[in-house]
Amino acid sequence: MTHTGSTDAAPAVSRRKLLQAGAAALGAAALPLPAIAQSKPFAGITLHGASFQHRFFTLLQNYIPEFEQQTGMKVDLQLSAFPVYNQQANLELSSGGSAYDFVNVTFILAARWVAAGLLANLDEFTSDPNLTPADWNPKDFVEGAQVPYRDAKGATYGYSWEGGAMLMGLSRMDLMEKKGLKIPKTFAELQQVCADINGTDNVNGIVSFQLHHWCLPPYIQGFGGNIFRNPPADIMPVLNSAEAVQAVEFYANLLKNYAPRGVLTYTEDQARQSLLTGRSNIFIHSSSWVTPILLSNESKVKDTSRVVRMPAGPVRDCPASNSQGLGIPKNAKNKKAAWEFIKWALSPEISMRLVREHGHSSICRRSVIESEDYRKLNTVNGQDLGALYLEVLELPAKGENYMAYRTVREFPVVGDVMNKAVEQVVTGQLSARDAMNAAQEQAVANLRRAGSAL
Amino acid sequence: MTGEGLLDAERRRFNRWALAPSLIILFAIAVLPALYLLAASLTPFQLTSPGSATDFSAPLRNYRLLPGDPRFVNSLLVQAKLSFWGVLFQVLLGMWLALLLNVQSRFVEFARTFFLIPMVLPPIVVAVIWKLIYAPDISPIYYAASLLNVTMPALTSSVDFALVSIIIADTWEWLPFTFLMVLAALQTIPDEFSEAALVDGASRLQIFYYVTLPFIAPILLVSAMFRLIDSVKAFPLIFLLTGGGPGSLTEVTNYYAYLLAFDTNEIGYSSAVTVVMLLLVAAISLGLVWMGRRREGLS
Repeated sequence: MTHTGSTDAAPAVSRRKLLQAGAAALGAAALPLPAIAQSKPFAGITLHGASFQHRFFTLLQNYIPEFEQQTGMKVDLQLSAFPVYNQQANLELSSGGSAYDFVNVTFILAARWVAAGLLANLDEFTSDPNLTPADWNPKDFVEGAQVPYRDAKGATYGYSWEGGAMLMGLSRMDLMEKKGLKIPKTFAELQQVCADINGTDNVNGIVSFQLHHWCLPPYIQGFGGNIFRNPPADIMPVLNSAEAVQAVEFYANLLKNYAPRGVLTYTEDQARQSLLTGRSNIFIHSSSWVTPILLSNESKVKDTSRVVRMPAGPVRDCPASNSQGLGIPKNAKNKKAAWEFIKWALSPEISMRLVREHGHSSICRRSVIESEDYRKLNTVNGQDLGALYLEVLELPAKGENYMAYRTVREFPVVGDVMNKAVEQVVTGQLSARDAMNAAQEQAVANLRRAGSAL
Repeated sequence: MTGEGLLDAERRRFNRWALAPSLIILFAIAVLPALYLLAASLTPFQLTSPGSATDFSAPLRNYRLLPGDPRFVNSLLVQAKLSFWGVLFQVLLGMWLALLLNVQSRFVEFARTFFLIPMVLPPIVVAVIWKLIYAPDISPIYYAASLLNVTMPALTSSVDFALVSIIIADTWEWLPFTFLMVLAALQTIPDEFSEAALVDGASRLQIFYYVTLPFIAPILLVSAMFRLIDSVKAFPLIFLLTGGGPGSLTEVTNYYAYLLAFDTNEIGYSSAVTVVMLLLVAAISLGLVWMGRRREGLS
């Protein structure tokens, strides 16, 4: 019988063999310890990071325990309101602090932080195959979204987790169709549609919000002007150029004649709400603020809405775009661990999970945006929002980087006076020409006061 | 030294020791930050240029730039208008309300408590309340006006009403303070004075002018002084309701200092603005104290 035979055939186990086997087993049992230790080189580290509150981080926090499990480190992520975070991070970085291992590199502060050398060069991490595997592929990030995080030499100081592409949301296509109006593709058509729709069925032609230095520049550039003479090399403001005056007049007229009462004090939320309830027909803002008319359950106008490219100017077509990135402070204590976190948080896998599991679409990984899953999830009423988003986000990287004005450290000073000028024109305190002349004068004086060489 | 002299010296030494902890804490929390502010105002400190924090090469540069800065000058004027009208309304209405409610009744007692609510609310809550009241889309005032076929302008973004809307909200918030102060003063006036005046045939107005007003005048002055100093802190209302606009019509000095420090990162220049504001407030306070003492001396 096989059984018996085998028993008989089995060699007797000698004491030597038993000892050898025991030693081998012990060795095998001992081996995983260093192996585990090697796979968790960051065990015991607590990583401190900070950002402003955003859905991306709220969702990411669900996955962070997995990262902690994989790496052995703890992640302490502090999230504050947008202005609070910016103030804290600005103070922390500029004072050379090391409280944070990774930070959000806010778009509007990116140029200042990069130029002032407050962030670590991430090329040192991506160029080292021991720190970054080839499949992480830094070139997979949408080029337009990466522009703000590069210095003049092209070194990278941040990787984008969020992209914003200026799109136009139309909430009452039903009214437009009734009146035989088509989606406006030029500034002139935009004004015409606003005029024709305003007041019909208690709907306002257009809505906007307080940050005119975000909404206005596409009009200035559309008419052929710019904010600075040739940013980033030449940052002399050109706010009183004929094109800029024309743009302010055009934009102020839209707000004065076709926007809801009190639009000058509207926040982004108020404007979004006005669009989602169909009280305003047009809202031109970042994709994440406009696409909810098609995607959000709050929207009362899903069936009558469209999301399209914003109209082009008579001279140029420059819809604004921006991005938010993750970076490492120059004096961070745990740079390698921070890079491990950034690598993980912005990996194609996590980006895809955010899209699939939460419908979070404003990511910056091209491979994910172009994937079939992404397309399926972001095609609503036949509109491929992903393609639209990618198209606008890529524009500044094609040819002239027209968003360069926004990434220079001088922009906040100039943006502030632009805001004031728009308000003065809308409320009739000054004509567009006078307001922009005053803005130009004030911008130059403020920049000189702040030590900028003009 | 005599025994009594020794005792005095001992007492003075004890007093110094007893006061020392409070003075040290006061120094740490009030004087040191003020000194830092003063030092920062003498530099071109910018958040993105760390070296600039210790650059004292042109210490008076920021102060020299101030008179030529139209927004700074405008902010002082806006602050002056806001303070003047705000304090005036708060004192007058607070006094009127106190005179009205200076009677013994359960209802009036309830009303007094009710009137105190705005003052005890956190300033940001007050700002949110008024933001809702002034928002044309959702405000009950605008709704009522629309029922009457009246089209009201958006108050907080109107050239004519933006500052008025801040003054109204500020008055609503702080009127209870003057009301409370005046009411307390009214309750200390002996009834005999007004009764005697009544017997002599004085009218209500005459009694108010010749009996009540002299009693409550010092309190009105103190209330006005406190409110004047406090009116400089109307930051949350401006931040939430108008953002200093439209244009710079409601941009007061502390809001401008905030924008300089945290929007454009000019900490040094912002500190200079703040120091000037501090000096102006201190000068006004000292002036009012001096006026009060002079008045006491005269009486």
